[in-house]
Amino acid sequence: MAEVKKTEKIDKKKPVIAVGDGPAIPSKEDVGLFTAWRVSIIGALAIIAYLAISKPDPYLAILKFVPDGILVTFQVTIEAILLALLIGLFTGLGRISKNRIINGIASVYVEVIRGIPLLVQLFYIYFALGRVVNLPAMVSAVIAMSVCYGAYMGEIFRAGIESIPKGQMEAARSLGMSYPQAMIHVILPQAFKTILPPVGNEFVALLKDSSLVSILAVSDLLRRGREFASESFTYFETYTMVALVYLVITLFLSKLVSLMEERISVD
Amino acid sequence: MSTENRNIMVQIRSVYKFFGQLKALDNVTLDIYDGEKMVIIGPSGSGKSTLLRSINKLETIDAGQIIVDGLDISNPETDINKVREEIGMVFQSFNVFPHKTVLDNINLAQTVVRKRSKKEATEISRELLNKVGILDKANEYPGKLSGGQQQRVAIARALAMKPKLMLFDEPTSALDPEMIGEVLEVMIKLAKEGMTMIVVTHEMGFAREVSDRVLFMDYGAVIEEGTPEHFFKNPTEERTKLFMSQIL
Repeated sequence: MAEVKKTEKIDKKKPVIAVGDGPAIPSKEDVGLFTAWRVSIIGALAIIAYLAISKPDPYLAILKFVPDGILVTFQVTIEAILLALLIGLFTGLGRISKNRIINGIASVYVEVIRGIPLLVQLFYIYFALGRVVNLPAMVSAVIAMSVCYGAYMGEIFRAGIESIPKGQMEAARSLGMSYPQAMIHVILPQAFKTILPPVGNEFVALLKDSSLVSILAVSDLLRRGREFASESFTYFETYTMVALVYLVITLFLSKLVSLMEERISVD
Repeated sequence: MSTENRNIMVQIRSVYKFFGQLKALDNVTLDIYDGEKMVIIGPSGSGKSTLLRSINKLETIDAGQIIVDGLDISNPETDINKVREEIGMVFQSFNVFPHKTVLDNINLAQTVVRKRSKKEATEISRELLNKVGILDKANEYPGKLSGGQQQRVAIARALAMKPKLMLFDEPTSALDPEMIGEVLEVMIKLAKEGMTMIVVTHEMGFAREVSDRVLFMDYGAVIEEGTPEHFFKNPTEERTKLFMSQIL
């Protein structure tokens, strides 16, 4: 055989999407980080416990005051991430679309949203659009967060879909499947594995950013803290507690994400 | 084999295809008959894969006409999915679906496209897996299979659609030498059953054993065509002679 055609190597390694933002997700190989995670979470929990027991006023009072806020924080985060995933899926599909109009809309959306700070977007949707349509604070908050994160999610979906070898789409289409059928049955299930880690990352980042919604009169964790502090004038103590609670939640969630990742890569 | 009174399966008329400045297909005109087995050979970049991929519109041609089983696929109005249901394709890089078991790989298009019930599809899939000799791997994921086995899954997957025409795009080029035989064996079996086949390959042994016609392409054009014997014994064109001396 004389002709050596460049053979498309079938890449067994999973493609990795590098996303810089977000908390460090501990992995088993990374021993240092793993320890850092442990030190942080045990340290944070120990400090919370110590403060609450040794100085129940105001620390225990703060701890009792903020759980409503934690629930709201989770509510905003989960609703926004679900909506963002949906927006991201369609944005990602739009970004790879050969249809110029669809591609254009998706690309402009991503550019515009990524160019405006989230805080400004929150103000904009709540106050500026509030003059036209009067949206409840919670709804504005979820819309703003998901519209913002949808743009980032869109890029994750796009990268995830593009990481699947193009022979997969060709094989599916050559069997007579339509483009949507090929996407649903062949491409997206494979892309899902690749996008899960960055989506987990975004989830944790979104939870942290959700503290911004406290300016919209949404009683999330931060706002509950502020309410407590302004009544009792214990700013230092309250914000210490709030920061620790955020830290514990984020550390816990990033651990969860890494466990999920591990389980997925085993399958 | 006589070609009289036989239906034409694929009609290729004055087809051109450009990749930027490069002329990938240069005025190709060709008929492929029902039941015919045609082998396309040619150097790298000669347009043979492009020609093959144009037949199920994985490549869109820039000029000319391609009619498959009476349907003009160069016409944008033609529902290409309907045409592709009737054309099986086997790729150099297998392209089996790694997230599905061997059985589900073969079931997928049957249920989604042909709308067969899962039970019916499974029956057909198992029969085909048996035919390509890997029924015992039905519930494995492709990652656990050798290249030769994956390619046989890909062939079974294409056959499950009951195609009228099978396209093979260098099906053995990505395989380790010891696995080429098992894939060729399946293809020979298929050829002997009367399947219409267009095969881009350099396996001249395969060409000699089953093909009715060999096509030599270079620079996007068909340079010479004839029986395998003709190519082995006395090719007329200089370029063909040179190429044959290189691959044999």
